Amino acid sequence: MLWKDEYELGVPLIDAQHKELFKRVESFLQALRSATSWDEKIPEINKTLDFMKRYVVEHFHDEEEYQKSINYPGYKCHKQIHDDMVNYVLDVSKQYEKCNTNEPLMQQFGGRLLAWLINHVAAEDQLIAAYAKKKGVSGNDR
Amino acid sequence: MIDNLYKTFIDATRNVFNLMLHLSEISDHPGEDFKSDEGVDIAVSIVGDLEGEVIYRFPVSTSLNMVKIMSGMEFEAVDDFVTSAISEIANIISGNVLTELSASDLKCDRLPPVQRKPGEDPNKDKEYELKTSCHINTSIGEIGLEIRLNRI
Ligand SMILES: [Fe+2]
Repeated sequence: MLWKDEYELGVPLIDAQHKELFKRVESFLQALRSATSWDEKIPEINKTLDFMKRYVVEHFHDEEEYQKSINYPGYKCHKQIHDDMVNYVLDVSKQYEKCNTNEPLMQQFGGRLLAWLINHVAAEDQLIAAYAKKKGVSGNDR
Repeated sequence: MIDNLYKTFIDATRNVFNLMLHLSEISDHPGEDFKSDEGVDIAVSIVGDLEGEVIYRFPVSTSLNMVKIMSGMEFEAVDDFVTSAISEIANIISGNVLTELSASDLKCDRLPPVQRKPGEDPNKDKEYELKTSCHINTSIGEIGLEIRLNRI
């Protein structure tokens, strides 16, 4: 499984969204890497891509609201990282809509998304939890 | 300065490998003779107070192992997916290095990572004030790192 419990921040809403995001990315990767032909993969790819476009925006928004609520000092920087990723996702899906036989584009997207997501949740998002814990506002107690 | 840069890159690599790949046993030694096979060479250009490039060389087996750890899936060849995932890791390490350098008042930016074919090295003979290279050893394979920068 892609998700690891050590990624938990101790903020139930955000943790639930992260788990959902990992689950969807995982099924996206499974579809992307399955041994079937590209044509057969397209419906599943379209479905997860559509979901992720909406969900990533929604999740980033909720996470940013949480950061604001605890006066997280890294908010601006973190929001920039989110915005850059949203722009990348939107840019890739725009290119893909023009030509859904563009398998290399989707393979590149999958690889980058995997590494980006793991680093973001294992490193960047942990800083929010560390701050919350220090301030005694929330976060996990490990 | 060069020693400091070297250490900053090694520390950043160690941290990223630790967090993302759960690799803790990482050692390094200086050396220019890194043998790159048909793996992934990624160049990250740096602009700002320091200018130049950093090249990460990931041999085939190291690359495949890294992506396997991240995804839990098997990979047989270095394809678009693998190259892109590895490029993002080089991008993340470089970003962390620049954040670290900004704390000592060096303001730099990086350009998106570019894949180079092994052996393709357009800047090989350029002069750099700060130049060093090393081998990084991990339990899933070696990585070559080459730092070439000028103070602006
Ligand atoms: Fe985040």
